[in-house]
Amino acid sequence: MAHSDNAATIHITDEEIDHICDEFGNREGAVVQILQTIQDKYGYVPAEVLERVGEDLGIPHSKMFGVLTFYSQFYREPRGKFILKVCVGTACHVRGAGLLVDKIKENLHIEEGENTEDMMFTLEPVSCLGSCALAPMAMVNGNTYGKLSGDKMVDLLKQFREEASGAEEAEAAPAS
Amino acid sequence: MATQTVEEMAAGLFHDVAIPTIHIGMATCGLAAGARSIEELVIKELEKRGIEARIIPTGCIGMCHNEPLVDITMPGMYRVSYRNVKALIIPQIFDAHFGKGEFAKKYAVCQIPIAGHKAYEGLPLMAETGFFKGQVKIVSSRCGLIDPSSIDDYIATDGYRALRKMLTEMTPEMVIDEMTKSGLRGRGGGGFYTGLKWKLTRQSPGEEKYVVCNADEGDPGAFMDRSILEGDPHSVLEGMLAAAFAIGNSKKGYIYCRAEYPLAIKRLRKAIDDARERNFLGDNILGTGFSFDITIKEGAGAYVCGEETALLASLMGERGMPWPKPPFPAQKGVWGKPTVINNVETLGNVGHIILNGGDWYASYGSEKTKGTKTFALTGSIKNSGLIEVPAGTPLRSIVFDIGGGMLEKKIPFKAAQLGGPSGGCIPASGLDTPVDFENVIAAGAIMGSGGIVIMDEASCIVDTAKFFLKFTQDESCGECTPCRVGSKIMLEILTRITEGKGQEGDLDELIRLSMYVKSNSLCGLGAAAPNPVLSTIRYFREEFEAHIRDKHCPGTVCANLIKYVVIEEDCTTCGLCEPVCPTGSVTWDKGEVAHINLETCIRCKACVDACKFRAII
Repeated sequence: MAHSDNAATIHITDEEIDHICDEFGNREGAVVQILQTIQDKYGYVPAEVLERVGEDLGIPHSKMFGVLTFYSQFYREPRGKFILKVCVGTACHVRGAGLLVDKIKENLHIEEGENTEDMMFTLEPVSCLGSCALAPMAMVNGNTYGKLSGDKMVDLLKQFREEASGAEEAEAAPAS
Repeated sequence: MATQTVEEMAAGLFHDVAIPTIHIGMATCGLAAGARSIEELVIKELEKRGIEARIIPTGCIGMCHNEPLVDITMPGMYRVSYRNVKALIIPQIFDAHFGKGEFAKKYAVCQIPIAGHKAYEGLPLMAETGFFKGQVKIVSSRCGLIDPSSIDDYIATDGYRALRKMLTEMTPEMVIDEMTKSGLRGRGGGGFYTGLKWKLTRQSPGEEKYVVCNADEGDPGAFMDRSILEGDPHSVLEGMLAAAFAIGNSKKGYIYCRAEYPLAIKRLRKAIDDARERNFLGDNILGTGFSFDITIKEGAGAYVCGEETALLASLMGERGMPWPKPPFPAQKGVWGKPTVINNVETLGNVGHIILNGGDWYASYGSEKTKGTKTFALTGSIKNSGLIEVPAGTPLRSIVFDIGGGMLEKKIPFKAAQLGGPSGGCIPASGLDTPVDFENVIAAGAIMGSGGIVIMDEASCIVDTAKFFLKFTQDESCGECTPCRVGSKIMLEILTRITEGKGQEGDLDELIRLSMYVKSNSLCGLGAAAPNPVLSTIRYFREEFEAHIRDKHCPGTVCANLIKYVVIEEDCTTCGLCEPVCPTGSVTWDKGEVAHINLETCIRCKACVDACKFRAII
């Protein structure tokens, strides 16, 4: 999932939204996919964007809000650069996923569903990711990490931070 | 075995192998175990030695506990499987094969026969190993053997032959007949006869009908459908084509796949594109005048969307809330038109049945559940992974023969949880239950979509019941009151029990509420939500009572009911436990036995883990 940098509030023009709705033929049936496309691109679905999509498709705002809040995949707030999806499904639960979640909370000082202050991490316990043989496991930005322990998790967090600072330096350097 | 034996299947793939071939397991489980870096190392090693070889990423063969898996096929020889491959052992494997013409005995699991090729001595065949011995692979027969992103591999292993046979030699009625004869029942858990479902949809009047594949596999602990989608995506497309042909007037199908399976979606996209290019999908398929195409719809994270009417609502852009049946999807489904909805595994079986006949399929399995069923075997078990067995195989043989027994030898089996949040727990006394639709229900669980989670004596039954109820309560869509409110009250009672605040009468109240929620909920989610609670009370009532009356958790899981103590005789006074305690509850002085202050102890278990002498329990 190539989320754009969403550390600050994002601005999406009405034209961009209209364009995405157009691609799906402005059909009411495509509303979930339209919202998915917007979220993939911008990381979350801001309130004003939701309104505009509703206007484009001719769907009342109440219904748009209903759809957006029904599905756990959609977010109304910006999220961190790294989404820590820690599996808390049955097999992972049996093998100590709870301890992993606690370790992250302790290390990053955030609760479930929250972002770190620097918008680097979001903790998101999820139900089964289907790799139960490698329990406990987690998925971070589309990559899977199996047979985790509290210490391994802490190492991973460190690794992600280094990755992020590395990428920033690369961005800051002038293109050759 | 299936349409072809593994041997024949491998022969189809290898008839012209002139150079060594290296298969690397690259399903989600393989990738999570580090298959990507293994692939890079293999490429580097080949370059270093100047060896020309074909590298093929493959799906899941089921041995998830052995990932990463690397198979090597030398020209003229059987295919050798290596398990838990790490950077250090790659050169050793290469030395054996490319240097000495042998195999690396220390790391090899088994060899897979290829017709016309020779076997290595001293290595068991795949079918002889404990894990595969009791298995019969039909729907998962290609998984892990073929390259799932190659349509040629699929065709070389009998793929799309069923489509050709159906379009040129069969009528829709004949297809439905074969499905009826096969006795195949919905593998998503519902268990409705597939032949009958197709027949009803065919009889439903309408100029426009739809085929929907339910790939919204959401049960925690279940990944059968993911393995099929990632390992053999074309078989699902072929099954959908057969359904469309059978019900008539159907030009369009949807695959509703959960978004948590990005690799499955990627493989499906590629499969659909390739099938269109070869005219297995699209207009005038194979010149027969039959047209059909498939679109993928990604789910957005709602467990209830696995329920068929909720899935249809979501597919049409609504909130994924179920509607009362009738009307059934066969009468009014997508856009109000007659629709057939089948699960991934059900559809994956279809091609095999059409090619080999319904009678052949029905020759496997038990009296009322024909054929095979895949299961995701996980939890505290040695060989966790994906298995496929004839329906009716006893639970004992799944756990102790195929599964290889318990993960920790010293901790005995306590229960098997079957069917996820809609299922239940079967205790040791039920190990001889034949696993099919009817017998598992009689034992208090359901076969469901096929998740089997093994629990040992170190797990807590009350905590497990609470875990599942919390899941269903979170995922309850809120439409009907019995499910929305009932599950919440039940969860409150269970939470209280695990916190040591259980009261007399709690169990009777749980049973009363369970019966009410079961009989009054709108859809399957609510109707099955109390199952984990009912089955655990049925078999493990004493454990609930221990929590309620004695404020004691026999599995030492429920944090509030655990009292950590230092065993004086075992304590070596080393002091390792003292610094790890986050609350300073462990006190220790040099040469003294440590002491734990239970008033301030937060039951984090850090001291237990730190103690090397098992002196803290």
